[in-house]
Amino acid sequence: MARRAFWLRVLTAFAMVAAFMIAPGPADAQKKGGVLRVGNLGEPPSLDAHWTTASITETLTNHIYEGLFSLDRDNKPIPMLAESYTISKDGLTYTFKLRSGIKFHNGKEMTSEDVVASLTRWGKQSIYGKALFAQVAELRAVDPLTVQMQLKEKSAIVLISLAVPNNFGAIYPKEIAEKFAPEVKVTEYVGTGPYKLAEWKPDQYIRMVRFDEYKSRNEKPNGYGGGKTAWLDEIRWVPVPEVATRVAQVETGELDFADDLNLDAYDRLKGNANARPIISKPYYWLVAVFNKKEGLMTNQKLRQAWQAAIDIEPIMKNVAGGKKEFYRMDSSLAPVEISAWHTKISGLPWDEHNRDKAKRLLQEAGYKKEPIRFMTTQEYKWMYDFALLTKQQLEDVGFNIDLQVVDWATLVKRRNNPKEYDVFTTGIGAAYDPTHHVYLTPSWPGWTTDEGIQKIQQELARETDPKKRMALWEQQTRQFYEKVPVIRYGDLFGLRAARNTVKGFNESTERVRFYNVWLDK
Amino acid sequence: MLAYLVRRLLAVIPVMAVVVTVVFLLIHLIPGDPVSVMLGPDATPTQIEATRKALGLDGPILEQLLGFYGRVLRGDLGQSYFLDRPVTTAILERAEPTLVLMVCALLVAVAIGVPSGIVAAAHRGSIWDRVLMIGSLLGVCVPGFWLSLNFIYLFAVRLGWLPAAGYASLFTEPATALRYMVLPAVSLGFNQSALIARISRSCMLEALQQDYVRTARAKGLPQRAVTYVHALRNALVPVVTVIGVTTAVLIGGAVITEIVFNIPGLGRLVISAILRRDYPVVQGVVLVTAATYVLINLGVDLLYAFIDPRIRYD
Amino acid sequence: MTEPLTERQRWIRRLAGNGAVVTGAAILLVLVGTALFADVLSSYNPTRLVPANRLKPPSAEHYLGTDEFGRDVYSLVLHGSRVSLLVGLTTMLLTSAGGIVIGLTAGYSRRLDVPVMRCMDGLMAFPAILLAIALMAARGPGVWNVIVALSVVYMPRTAMLIRSTVLSLRELDYIQAARALGRRDGAIALRHILPNCVGPLLVQGSFVFAYAILAESILGFLGVGVPPYVPSWGNVIASGKNVIREAFWVSLFPGLALTIAGLSLNLLGDGLRDVLDPRLRVR
Repeated sequence: MARRAFWLRVLTAFAMVAAFMIAPGPADAQKKGGVLRVGNLGEPPSLDAHWTTASITETLTNHIYEGLFSLDRDNKPIPMLAESYTISKDGLTYTFKLRSGIKFHNGKEMTSEDVVASLTRWGKQSIYGKALFAQVAELRAVDPLTVQMQLKEKSAIVLISLAVPNNFGAIYPKEIAEKFAPEVKVTEYVGTGPYKLAEWKPDQYIRMVRFDEYKSRNEKPNGYGGGKTAWLDEIRWVPVPEVATRVAQVETGELDFADDLNLDAYDRLKGNANARPIISKPYYWLVAVFNKKEGLMTNQKLRQAWQAAIDIEPIMKNVAGGKKEFYRMDSSLAPVEISAWHTKISGLPWDEHNRDKAKRLLQEAGYKKEPIRFMTTQEYKWMYDFALLTKQQLEDVGFNIDLQVVDWATLVKRRNNPKEYDVFTTGIGAAYDPTHHVYLTPSWPGWTTDEGIQKIQQELARETDPKKRMALWEQQTRQFYEKVPVIRYGDLFGLRAARNTVKGFNESTERVRFYNVWLDK
Repeated sequence: MLAYLVRRLLAVIPVMAVVVTVVFLLIHLIPGDPVSVMLGPDATPTQIEATRKALGLDGPILEQLLGFYGRVLRGDLGQSYFLDRPVTTAILERAEPTLVLMVCALLVAVAIGVPSGIVAAAHRGSIWDRVLMIGSLLGVCVPGFWLSLNFIYLFAVRLGWLPAAGYASLFTEPATALRYMVLPAVSLGFNQSALIARISRSCMLEALQQDYVRTARAKGLPQRAVTYVHALRNALVPVVTVIGVTTAVLIGGAVITEIVFNIPGLGRLVISAILRRDYPVVQGVVLVTAATYVLINLGVDLLYAFIDPRIRYD
Repeated sequence: MTEPLTERQRWIRRLAGNGAVVTGAAILLVLVGTALFADVLSSYNPTRLVPANRLKPPSAEHYLGTDEFGRDVYSLVLHGSRVSLLVGLTTMLLTSAGGIVIGLTAGYSRRLDVPVMRCMDGLMAFPAILLAIALMAARGPGVWNVIVALSVVYMPRTAMLIRSTVLSLRELDYIQAARALGRRDGAIALRHILPNCVGPLLVQGSFVFAYAILAESILGFLGVGVPPYVPSWGNVIASGKNVIREAFWVSLFPGLALTIAGLSLNLLGDGLRDVLDPRLRVR
């Protein structure tokens, strides 16, 4: 009898302790104030969102500028600066109503004229803008808060193009949009975002401070969109090119946040009491892009030989620091996280690691061991890693690879010149629509001009029915693996680190955002 | 003295002329057209022409060279392509961290080197002398950048005593600034301290052998006074020259130190400019550092001539 | 009765008797040996990537551990000595050759002396590493570009040295006598002046060798030296810096090798200076 009572007491005590632990404590109250010091890879080539697809520019500009639309947590377009929109019955006219009372950082109020000027500029320079405006007949301001877009043909990509965060349709004041020609970088940075640019000291820091007159949307934060609150007084972006230094500085507290870290640092960040590692998915999928305009790699059989030869998993594993958690083997051209376009097709010639097939294709291609110029850089360490491992695998089957290691700026310049290379390395970030896969376009370096591929891309731009689009996309994927415009490796995940005082950070977006983030110091 | 001063100053001019010419030629060592390389194949012909004009790269080479001279003399070092500002501004913005680093490294080198050398000389042949000499030999041979890595690993990452990298301005936050400066200044100054130690030791030894020292001893002055007053003064004169040479080496070493420790100075500027093909900045920084070296040497020579009158009759 | 020693024998005795020379030369010989026999001494092919062996600590299979691609650090260090010694030796030879030509010209020709000297002064005003980096950036990566860049950087010092030697010798009596006898300057230079330059050249050469090895590794560390996949001490240190916490051995051992190489050459230079030119001694 006594024993039962004893155990009953133990159980009760247990239950009380458990209840105490499960019951929520006082919620973390958001605090206003503080300076967030963020360490990143280097200097952005520009803070003009229309001008470049560089990731650093994307991250920075999304704090000071906004577009008409944004992406929600399911990667679907939701209104940002637009209040609402209507589409005409024939699908050729889009009418956007703008939110009122939106102020620019210079005090001016946003009107439809600013939107028209900005989007027109974006449509001439940005990859996504150019793709959309190929279908646009006219964009005009109807009244101060209404903009109308007239299309030449039915389009599936209007909203998504206006919503993507990379190289996006940022709304500038009309005076700035008209002052700087599209191919020239703007040097005045005025937007509508929750933070405004306070100071830019190249190689030292970029300081953004809270824009007090920011008008947030009423909804809760949703993916990249929804409500945005600027809790922090200031975001200070510090370029720290040495990745080991970036990691060390988060560990010691000199930085509050660091991005693009090397995966070897994961274990030690896990063990750190004051900072935590954050795995970012998706990050990039690794790609070797062929020069299909001139040179050796215009030969499709040679490209197929490369695709057949490589054994992708050991490469991915090594690039991922030996850790399985940091990569994913997948042949789909859209990563798992872009669920709308993720494909599961079997029997594709991806990761065959079939040496005999590769050797046979080399022979059929008539390859005589000429050196193939393979351009890469050490500034993105994973690019150099997979290039070096690829070189060895390919040379084992009979390729002759001339590996040229240059700095990223040089690579980006050289890849535009068909005389300078045969293959280059890069990473493809998330593309939210099939038409946004830049490596399938004829103007992006590599020059994918194949008629079959272009035909499907154009149909994808026109077809509005989601089921038909998916069918087209699967067809395109099969064609991709047959014609091999680029070599798709695996998905690589990224590593970030944050001090434990950094709260409210959304870990599921592809690139970092610091609105809605506060410091708990 | 005045004659020497004038002669010395005049000698600087042709040297600077050579410096400016070499800096000008650096751009022309690049295979292909430097402007196209700089702007990339996207550039329109109008952009290329405009940039070529702005950089003074149009026209026959001699004309270009003279134009370059003219601009340099006016203090116009051109416009940075990447940073969208005059090169002179970019240099002035980054000068402070490099200067602070070099001065701190120099202080470290002198503070460690001179006393070590003197003590070793004063106790010649003893175990301390041996230890110091072996230490200084190793000090000269250890690669500075490798030492930096090990310092960071030991003091910042493992022990957590000092920050791993970064910079704070001495004028706004002196205490933090000093903490950030310790590892960089020590790793940069370490090699030089070894060199200075060896030279101080040998100068001190020579001074101690001199007649006047023996005379002073014979006169019965206390040992320590003799050593540390008379010999010291004369021994330090060549050390002043070494400081001039040290500065040149420190300028080079500062480049690497700035990169390892992420200090936003001229070294980082020139490396990123080289990587970004921002040639006006590369030319500007190299020119300024060479000019600084020439001026420092001039200053050292004049100081030397002031201290030691025998030199003036060279 | 013992026969008097020849000049040569006396020199050899002096050199062999100097501790620094002997130690320095011995270590250098070991280094040259490892460079020549690197293939035989290595346990593995240093350029073969073995992802499965990533970042393994020193063990019986891998004496000095492996790097991030599974390459054996011991083999990398052995093969790295080839690049370092090649660059060091060739730079030393080129600077000596160029220095002789320029130094002789400046020393002999009164007309050319001042302009040549100013040019050398001008070149020496540039911090060596900065000039080397700029030259590498202009010409691109590769062993020969490194050698040329470093030779350009270090030649002025050697030239000045030769020049001052020539100047001090030119006025000596027996040179004047040879002139008076009708011997041409060129012949005089070859027979009398050059042999006297050998001493200072050897001393200077040792130090140039040491600087060149160090400079090559700095260029490699900064990523502007030989291509990153070529085994060189600088490249291996660079690849180890990102994983220094997890795998300190990658950067450690090539750095030690560098230190030892520098030590041997500095000792050799110091010793040679003691023996060949006591005036320059750092006692």
